[in-house]
Amino acid sequence: MATAYLLRRVVETFKITDVSGLIERVQQVGQRLLAAQPREMATGNIVRRVLGVIREEAEEDRDGETSGCSDGGTHSRPLSAGEHDPRAPELPGPVSRALSSSPLRQDTGDQPPFEPSEDGAFERPTLLTAHASYANTNTGPVVTSMFSLLSHPRSNVASTTATPGSQSSGSLPPISTRALANLTAAKDLGAEIVVGIQEIVEELNQADDQIAGYSSEHIHSNEIILTHTSSITVQKFLLKAAAKRRFTVFHAETFPNDHESTHATVIGKANGGPDDELRLESFQKSLTVAGITVILTPDSAVFALMSRVNKVILDTHIVLPNGGLVAAAGAKVVAKAASMHRTPVIVLSGVYKLSPVYPFDTDSLMENGDPGRVIGYEDGGLVNKVEVENPLFDYVPPELVDLYITNLCVHPPRTVGLKVLIVCLRGGHAPTYIYRILADHYRTEDIEFDRINVCQ
Amino acid sequence: HAAPIHAEPEKENKNVALFDHLYGHPRRTTVAGAGKDVHPAVLALGLQMRNYVICGSSARCVSMLLVFKRVIESYTIPSRNSLPRHLTTHLSSQIDYIVSCRPISISMGNAIRWLKVEISNVDVSTPESQAKSDLCDSIDTYVREKVTVADQVIANKANDKIEEGDVIMTFAKSSIVQQTLVEAFRRGKTFRVIVIDSRPLLEGKNLARALADLGLEVQYSLTHGISHVISHATKVFLGAHAMMSTGLYSRAGTAIVTMSAKEANVPVIVCCESVKLTERVALDSFVHNEVAPAEELMIQGRTSSLLSKWEDVPNLQVLNLMYDLTPAEYVNMVVTEYGIIPPSSVPVIIRLSTNS
Repeated sequence: MATAYLLRRVVETFKITDVSGLIERVQQVGQRLLAAQPREMATGNIVRRVLGVIREEAEEDRDGETSGCSDGGTHSRPLSAGEHDPRAPELPGPVSRALSSSPLRQDTGDQPPFEPSEDGAFERPTLLTAHASYANTNTGPVVTSMFSLLSHPRSNVASTTATPGSQSSGSLPPISTRALANLTAAKDLGAEIVVGIQEIVEELNQADDQIAGYSSEHIHSNEIILTHTSSITVQKFLLKAAAKRRFTVFHAETFPNDHESTHATVIGKANGGPDDELRLESFQKSLTVAGITVILTPDSAVFALMSRVNKVILDTHIVLPNGGLVAAAGAKVVAKAASMHRTPVIVLSGVYKLSPVYPFDTDSLMENGDPGRVIGYEDGGLVNKVEVENPLFDYVPPELVDLYITNLCVHPPRTVGLKVLIVCLRGGHAPTYIYRILADHYRTEDIEFDRINVCQ
Repeated sequence: HAAPIHAEPEKENKNVALFDHLYGHPRRTTVAGAGKDVHPAVLALGLQMRNYVICGSSARCVSMLLVFKRVIESYTIPSRNSLPRHLTTHLSSQIDYIVSCRPISISMGNAIRWLKVEISNVDVSTPESQAKSDLCDSIDTYVREKVTVADQVIANKANDKIEEGDVIMTFAKSSIVQQTLVEAFRRGKTFRVIVIDSRPLLEGKNLARALADLGLEVQYSLTHGISHVISHATKVFLGAHAMMSTGLYSRAGTAIVTMSAKEANVPVIVCCESVKLTERVALDSFVHNEVAPAEELMIQGRTSSLLSKWEDVPNLQVLNLMYDLTPAEYVNMVVTEYGIIPPSSVPVIIRLSTNS
């Protein structure tokens, strides 16, 4: 959520000259966010979505310009550069691109593209050096860099900034007028992109409520539900069902990492944690007030209870393309116990949690928390002798999950193909379809945006 | 006018409906109201059990037998009554008191059954002092045979299963597992121990501390970390509250550990004295179980303020289950003093141990 707001600001404040610059900028911001919290995949997902919006708007823009070129959207990759293709047919492709983008690039190169960055948090010097080193590596084989320009919108930035004088000096005048026209178009483009990001923000805001909308299709009267960790998504889902039906909820407390907010949730008070603002915003009356019997229980009792539980509803941290998920530690045994007892496991997840990054090694997604939560300060002596483990997340393989419920149904037209799926599966989807949703949501070129600079 | 509003939620039944049959009366917290027959040692023992000072199936069983010895020593046959007849009822009132403090364990039940048979076998013609000392001797023998020596035998047998470089995982605290690990350490085996623990008793912390003090390499985590640490383990050693032919009945959370072990193909070895074997069968953790007071789940400190008011929240219940049943399929072997058996052979050992 905060990511979307941040990126909106980035886009708003960014002097839009051309799309590739903007994409680059967003990528850099995204990389910085990811570097700060590499396992917070939702952040990366939002960045991808924003990139997707930018690319889409750019494509629409170009389609408008090249009137009649209706199939322009199919070769989507050379976005910014492609704008000038039809206008300068006499020039060889790569050269024209280099020329057309060079004045603009020079502009951003002289006063670096990071200049308008509003946030003190981003240290420009490091970004600049990264930029410079990037350019250096590309100067050598000019031909290859020009070639890669076709497939990589980012790399034309480097090649042109690296060799600005040699190529652009002669052909500046004819380009400038076009650049001017381009600039005005780009301003509209910027506004459109901001609107697009706004849509994403709204989607995030509504995600939980949309998910909750499916609750009546999945919870029947007198059911016993088991859930794990405190989650606003799950709470809203259950609350919505509670409006019409009576059921019982076993709530595993998720000691030691999340038990405080779980306790706060069952008691019906907003947690005074660091994300206080968000919680207060989405604070609602608790389940118990709605007349639902909530039974708080330690995590250890999950297996014992499972034989009487009708459904397990889990929140998730991220959902992986294979249909597995990364959730709060302890979720794995809950899901496993459920599958042993043939109890269906439903995972509630906003689409923004569906992550296209497939981790080869799921251990790399894991994170260890504060051991002090496992062994308190009163047992300080023990800490010296005993290795204390406190994982924060669990990887739950897809075979343990029966259904995903996302907020997809009321989604922009991009997911038309999905709507069919959704209708077929009545609001939920089986884990195996997750990859399809991903394909609809993220552009392939954005999936690895965080790796683009890695080799430099 | 605030009083009636507060009184109303208090009336609400805070018992979890599924476990209503397990609640019984609230646990006794003081000796007030105990029967006048109840021996002072029993009074103390009851409270110790209630507060988990004496915790664990065997510890409770042994301490109960030792206290009964003192009861028998200070017992005099009332006039016009015989020892086999009257002592049983006298003991029953002691047992009732102990049960009111905390429900008795399977091993205690087995021991009580044995003691009652012993008492009824006493010849009426035996002089009182003789009969009493005989009973005390047989209690000593029972404790020695069934627990002390049995533990040593089991520790030795289980030790054969520990190999160099093993990573032994255990859950909560079992005295017999501790003894096994200590014995292995004494024999100079190099191995690592992972202790998994769970709220609210956190018994494993004591085990981890004891083993770490010895110099063993110990890793400690809670049930939430099980799916991570299980991949490092090569064997799981567990104690038991009771062992049935249908499964292992032990501290809540054991089933989670064994399930993860099964998934990771790690063998599960249960160390269990024959007193803990029972012919009772259970298919789930609902019919037989113990529900501990919910207050024990409250955490002192920062969150205490949050959860301590749970009773005022309507429709909120807190469940503190003591045990769960691990299906027999998760248990690879049971080490008893009679030998190493699969769970399905539990009735055989019961027959062996009760006939001898």
